[in-house]
Amino acid sequence: MRVTQSMISNNTLRNISDSYSKLSKLNDQSVSGKKFSKPSDDPVAAMLAMSYRTDLNRIGQYQENIGTVKSWVDATDDSLNAVGNALHQFRDLIVQASNGTYEENQRSYMALEMRELIGQITDLADTQVGGKYIFGGTKTDQRPSDNINAATGVINLEVFSNITLPMNIQGNDIFPDMISPGGVLDTIASALENPNTDPTTLTNYIGDIDAQMDVVLGTRAVVGARQNRVELMEDRLGQQEIFSTRILSDNEDIDLEKVLIDLTTQESVHRAALGVGAKIMQPSLMDFLR
Amino acid sequence: MRSTFFGLETAKRGMAVHQTALNVTGHNISNANTNGYTRQRVNFSTTIPYPSLGLNRPDIPGQLGTGVKAESIQRIRDQFADVQYREQNTKFGYFNSLNESLVKMEEIMNEPSDSSLHYTMEQFWNSLQTLSANSENSGARALVSANGQMVADAYNYYYNSLTTIQRDLNSEIDVVAREVNELVTRLAELNQQISEIEPAGLLPNDIYDTRDLLVDELSGLVNIKVTKVRPTEYGNALPIAEGIYNIELVNKDGSSYTDANGNPINLLSADIDGNQGYSQLSVNRDPNTNLVTGISDGNHTINIIDFTKTGELSAIIESYGYMVNGDKQGHYPEMINDLNNLLITFANEFNAVHREGHTLNGGQSGEDFFVLEGIVKTGDNYSYDVPNASQLIKVNQNIVDNTSLLAAGFGNGDAGNNINAQRLANLKTLDFTQYTTSATVPNGMTGTADTYYSGIIGKLGVISRSAELNKMNADTMLATVDQRRKSVTSVSLDEEMVDMVRFQHAYNASARNITVVDEMLDRIINGMGIVGR
Repeated sequence: MRVTQSMISNNTLRNISDSYSKLSKLNDQSVSGKKFSKPSDDPVAAMLAMSYRTDLNRIGQYQENIGTVKSWVDATDDSLNAVGNALHQFRDLIVQASNGTYEENQRSYMALEMRELIGQITDLADTQVGGKYIFGGTKTDQRPSDNINAATGVINLEVFSNITLPMNIQGNDIFPDMISPGGVLDTIASALENPNTDPTTLTNYIGDIDAQMDVVLGTRAVVGARQNRVELMEDRLGQQEIFSTRILSDNEDIDLEKVLIDLTTQESVHRAALGVGAKIMQPSLMDFLR
Repeated sequence: MRSTFFGLETAKRGMAVHQTALNVTGHNISNANTNGYTRQRVNFSTTIPYPSLGLNRPDIPGQLGTGVKAESIQRIRDQFADVQYREQNTKFGYFNSLNESLVKMEEIMNEPSDSSLHYTMEQFWNSLQTLSANSENSGARALVSANGQMVADAYNYYYNSLTTIQRDLNSEIDVVAREVNELVTRLAELNQQISEIEPAGLLPNDIYDTRDLLVDELSGLVNIKVTKVRPTEYGNALPIAEGIYNIELVNKDGSSYTDANGNPINLLSADIDGNQGYSQLSVNRDPNTNLVTGISDGNHTINIIDFTKTGELSAIIESYGYMVNGDKQGHYPEMINDLNNLLITFANEFNAVHREGHTLNGGQSGEDFFVLEGIVKTGDNYSYDVPNASQLIKVNQNIVDNTSLLAAGFGNGDAGNNINAQRLANLKTLDFTQYTTSATVPNGMTGTADTYYSGIIGKLGVISRSAELNKMNADTMLATVDQRRKSVTSVSLDEEMVDMVRFQHAYNASARNITVVDEMLDRIINGMGIVGR
């Protein structure tokens, strides 16, 4: 093949510019840390990247959601524990009062203490988390004690794709007999306040109190089971996060060592192209003719 | 008997012809870097020998050569390489331009990144989940309306950017068509000049070069077939005269387009009777959509579906958009259409679910979340016929002004009721077939909003990738063919130097020959017949 100066200079220019574009691509990769910057660089990886990002984003959001559920469930457990303690004290007071050895006005002091405990339980029914009444059912913006029978409605929150957890205990399931006028506790306190009450009859009320304590204990069992579920979910999300981060990274992050080695190789190729080009373009026959 | 002065004439011819050769070498060297220049050479031939046949010819042994003449000055070019070059150049022009417009599209879509539609949809979903966890919180509600607006903004941005590029492509079509027409006009002038020079027995080498360069340029824009025509009545034209060019516009496979009479469509026409002419291309557009419908040469129109994959012009038209049987096609219109379909499908369903929900401590909402500004719904849903839906989409101003209208509840408007927020969040990954509005979803649409969108991006990635690979291939092929062509046509300075030495020596030797003859004459004239003087 006949080769001329212009062919050599064209080729040299072309090779150098090819080499430059390879260098520039490797440079982009090492700076961005990504294998691709637009879908056409690697269409399959780009599509996968979108779905991996969706997964990772979801996991982050679900972790936030589960945090919310956790704080509600924990607060519910604490409150119910306190309610249980108050009921215990209430029961002790009844046992004490039914003794019959107390004076009438002493019983009225006990009644006062009972009223105090009812108030305490009422306050617990109004427990708030983040400004929301957790025993209010779905009416989280209304004080449950104002109308405890309306405190209904389950609030579910998604903690994983298509898995929802109930985050609240409905106040109506626990509190009506404890805090409403005419409820069990109110009846007992009124009985104590009544000077005509025969103290021996008070023992009849112990069964009623026990029934209330059963309600609280039963609910706490439910809440405890829910706490376990929340923790399990939290663990699973944590593992999912590690896994998703890894496949996202495998899919789109560069292997820095490899890119740097490629860059070095390409750089020496580039130097060679420049060196050879400079050498080959210079001499012509004119340099050797007199 | 030959003339005494015979040798003088032979040597003189040698000097003159080598001087010509040196001049041509000088021309070659001067144009070593001229674009499109083809190296030239002098065709040497011997002059008629002495004596010629005849009864009165002198009786000398054999014929005596009388010297040299320059037969012609010819350019050295491989016509086959030209054909190959133009073929590849058409492909390169097509894929290069296609790649360019698709890369622009990818830059607009900007996936995967933190400013893309995919990302804003994720944010929107997050805000709906946050709303679900804090349904009575006005901050969470404001976040949903703000992120909804962000989604709408992403669509607005896509629509505006895509149509801006499309507008640019539209004017580019005109620019390229004008370029084709200008090239054809200039080629027609060159044809005319050549047809005037050649009959005089001359070879207009430099005009040939210019003509071939223009044809090369033309081949990047449209696919052409070049035929050389030598009129029957052509004066004293040399046998190696190239003749005039007939340039035909051809299909991507090289086959002819035919007009109503079955004749090919010539951009530049020449026939053996010496008739010449040219025609000008124009691009026909649909009056309603302004998309391209066909290419016309003034007499005949080529349907646009027959005008594909042939040079830069068709690549720009394919990107810009064209009409086939009333359907919009082309990369930009299809992308806009896909986005519109996705948007309308998602917005209709989102609105339907939103309307069913209850506002904060209120009744059933009945309000749409997304609205297309200035468009009236047909029934409950927006129609798919709104061509600029992506431009018009925004979040219902009533909801922006009063976020308690956001329907997070379902069944009742209790503050903690988050069922509808959850339903809205789920829409992103709900299959179109499970939509309550699934009956209105167009047939071709399958999957979920998420997968449909990543499908759009995947498709873009694949076609852009293939355009890029094809462009790289065509570029390599073009370089190879060009290399082969240059190997024949380009000027080698070393070679010219050698020629120069060769011709100079021959010139000098011819001059020396004259000196020898001169000395011989001197001997005869001044040195003879003086015996005994």
